[in-house]
Amino acid sequence: MSESGPPQEPPGRGGDIVWSVIGTLVAGVLAWGFIGWLLDRWLGTSYLVAVGIIVGMAGAFYLIIKRYGSG
Amino acid sequence: MRVPTLPLVREGFNAPGIEIFEWPDIVHLEVAGIDLSINRVVLQMFLVGLLVWGLFFFAFRRPQLVPSGLQNVMEAFVDFIRNQIVLEVIGRDGLRFLPYLTTLFVFVLFGNLGGTFPVILFPLNGRMALPAVMAICSLLLFISVGISSQGMAYFKNALFPPGIPWPVYVLLTPIEFVSTFIVRPVTLAIRLLANMIAGHLILSVFFVATGYMLTSLNISMLFGVASLVFSVALIAFELFVAGLQAYVFTILSAVYIAGALEPEH
Repeated sequence: MSESGPPQEPPGRGGDIVWSVIGTLVAGVLAWGFIGWLLDRWLGTSYLVAVGIIVGMAGAFYLIIKRYGSG
Repeated sequence: MRVPTLPLVREGFNAPGIEIFEWPDIVHLEVAGIDLSINRVVLQMFLVGLLVWGLFFFAFRRPQLVPSGLQNVMEAFVDFIRNQIVLEVIGRDGLRFLPYLTTLFVFVLFGNLGGTFPVILFPLNGRMALPAVMAICSLLLFISVGISSQGMAYFKNALFPPGIPWPVYVLLTPIEFVSTFIVRPVTLAIRLLANMIAGHLILSVFFVATGYMLTSLNISMLFGVASLVFSVALIAFELFVAGLQAYVFTILSAVYIAGALEPEH
């Protein structure tokens, strides 16, 4: 790595972003799906787990766009 | 005259399944209700651990300025991790993690190579124990790196990404928590485990089927020859996967450490 060259993205970072995006999507579904499932058990309903999964996905998309969207 | 019958009546082909990952205990040992039995996989684990220790010990016991022999080989590993992973992903600040990452890489690599090594023929990381423990090591390491470089602000930075209106944190903080502290280690372990299980199953199915077809005494023998050629090619592929997965495990650990060193911007 030269000290004077123009700043450039290290090559390892491309794969890093891919894994991070996938991880965030999975985490969104897991986190809010789990919260929905807990609420379902608590309230005796059965649809909140689906709502949770959708909310989690939306949150994950928002987070990904916020973080990597504008560069 | 009697019509000659087939010389061999055979059972149908039984493809090897997930049971090839189960080994009987060699020494049964239970301490305080915890099963510490030693089976073939545990023996292989000891062997690989000893091998990695021995390689590094004898390579660098009396290091020469102009390396030769074993020292040359092991320096190639260290240089590779240093230049391709540590300097690329973390930068000069990351050189203090070089020993951990090099050991991790070499240990995962030799564990994986067991899958294609004659006589051994079992990938150590095809059992969950090692990938899980190594993933937990990387998790604990990047959390402690985060705390030591940013203090408790590490958790604030990790859980509350900047530039977002505060009511949205209710939505995003659980996602960030699961993504950083649960999904990261789990995917790290499962990626390695699943690759090794799949590789071992494919190799086993191909070689068992090749043997079955080559001894079938009918037209299948022709297919057996083709299958044999392909099985050998699969060994080359498994060697490649063994190296690649060791590299992926190490570089992702380095990426997580790099992320803990400085807050996101």
